[in-house]
Amino acid sequence: MNDLTIAMPKGRIFEEAYQVLLEAGFNLPEEVEMSRKLMIEIPEEKIRFILSKPMDVPVYVEHGVADIGIAGKDVLLEQQREVHELLDLKISNCYIASAGLPDTEMNEIAPRIATKYPNIAMKYYKGIGEQVEIIELNGSIELAPMIGLADRIVDIVSTGRTLKENGLVEYEFITAVSSRLIANPVSYRMKGERIMDLVRRLKKCVNEQKSNRV
Amino acid sequence: MSSIKMFEKPLGMRDTFPQIFEKVEAVRQAGRDFLCKRGYEFIKTPAVEYFDTVGKASAIADTHLFKLVDSQGNTLVLRPDMTTPIARVATSKLLKEMIPQRLAYFASVFRAQEAEGGRPAEFDQMGIELIGDQSVFADVEVIVTAMELLKHLQLESFKMTIGHAGILNCILQDYTESIDQQATLRTLLVQRNYVGFEEAVESFDLPKAKSDTLLQFIEEAMDVKHIRDIEKYVRKNDALEYMQQLAQLLEMADLADYVAFDFTLSSHMSYYTGMLFEVFASGSGFPLGNGGRYDGLLEVFGSTVGATGFSIRVDRLLETLNGQSEKQQDATVVLFEEEQFEVALLKVKTLRAAGKLATLQLRSSLVDEEAFLAYFTEVVVVRQEEVGSE
Repeated sequence: MNDLTIAMPKGRIFEEAYQVLLEAGFNLPEEVEMSRKLMIEIPEEKIRFILSKPMDVPVYVEHGVADIGIAGKDVLLEQQREVHELLDLKISNCYIASAGLPDTEMNEIAPRIATKYPNIAMKYYKGIGEQVEIIELNGSIELAPMIGLADRIVDIVSTGRTLKENGLVEYEFITAVSSRLIANPVSYRMKGERIMDLVRRLKKCVNEQKSNRV
Repeated sequence: MSSIKMFEKPLGMRDTFPQIFEKVEAVRQAGRDFLCKRGYEFIKTPAVEYFDTVGKASAIADTHLFKLVDSQGNTLVLRPDMTTPIARVATSKLLKEMIPQRLAYFASVFRAQEAEGGRPAEFDQMGIELIGDQSVFADVEVIVTAMELLKHLQLESFKMTIGHAGILNCILQDYTESIDQQATLRTLLVQRNYVGFEEAVESFDLPKAKSDTLLQFIEEAMDVKHIRDIEKYVRKNDALEYMQQLAQLLEMADLADYVAFDFTLSSHMSYYTGMLFEVFASGSGFPLGNGGRYDGLLEVFGSTVGATGFSIRVDRLLETLNGQSEKQQDATVVLFEEEQFEVALLKVKTLRAAGKLATLQLRSSLVDEEAFLAYFTEVVVVRQEEVGSE
């Protein structure tokens, strides 16, 4: 059996994804110590996890230093990397939307959009025939309309609470987001059996959970 | 932007240091020997071509082209691949002399990179083009040559996936209800977005039989061990028969173990009208090479004789060969003082005649003798008394 390296985002998504792997019957320790470690070896399953920032997971997978990974659809859309998108894990469900101060129109001459996702925002506004200026921010995007930096923001929304607390309202729904299982194209071929086995087991779990919820 | 420092080179451009140069050269020589023995003749084309001809016909996206302007105001490109220039030269000249043509190349191609590192903007490709033979045997020859070349280069752990544009088209046509739907699904397959494929199929609101078949197809068609596993999805057509024959011929060549069929394999290029394939090897995160039939590209240059070929990325090949033992060649250095030059010259001549690698070096020019000598397996110092005795 080949060793399999899995790139995972740190934090909440890791925990959720780890649960899915446990449910899929992988022989993993119930609890992993998440301290400051960046690599976790699971010799029983010949699996190695590498923990990274969510935005970096597709980078590791594209370069083949991780065979597979778990990445948000938002990151995949933003970066357009050459990876195979194998499975929707249906965890960390949320969506990308535009938002702004209530009852405001976008500036007609040069509407400004603040976002962490410049490519997604640019593509969306191009798609609806609107020429906008993108201002890239790294966090606290909600500030931008409040202090007059931008007319709209494009950001990820899960419950909508952050928007509400900052006095913003949603305008347009852009796209749904959930965590996806991605694979490096070469690993997908060279370690195909292992990866397909993992996909099948995870898929079964995901579908069962879906029917439970319904 | 900060000013360019003296040591900088353009984004994605790399120097080839002596050690790597030797490795590339070894691969080049081995590949050249191998391909020449199979009747492939090596060819070289210009590094710069017109944008309107080769640039537009090439499979490489516009944003990846290096563009220049010549003194007449024509837009030029640095060649982004070798297949397109070879199609140009073959259709305009070579095919008038002989058909089919078996051509080979080992050359660098140029693809501009966006902001990120890790990808070279200039890299070597080795490959062949078999132009003017439309039979399945030509495709088999290309596939077999690619695989045997890799084996000849001591690569053991590799895989090839083969698909056929015709079979994919047939399935997309039969199980969707509009050209738009086909285009959407094909784009998703080029991006290898299987999740998106499933979502799109569900969103089309197709009759259940159709959508079920498509979903089942996508699950199975990515890794087909035997061609008969796919037959149930495709109505009898030329493409299917072609692939059946191809599979049979590959079995005869005893290479079936390295091959899997993937009928979701799709190219953004409309030139790939028939069989197409990709080669993967452990050790590199990116595909090693690809190939296929590109009759459509030849048509752009006004010829209908058909063509097929493959190319291998030499930089990725080196990555996959990395672990392999490399023999360190013995090297001798002959150190001399100014007045001993004649004797030293004779000495290196004898050494070189005996087939040894011998460097001649004036001792007093050395800045750090120890560091310099560390590169050699043997050191010969010409002594004063030898001068007298000669």
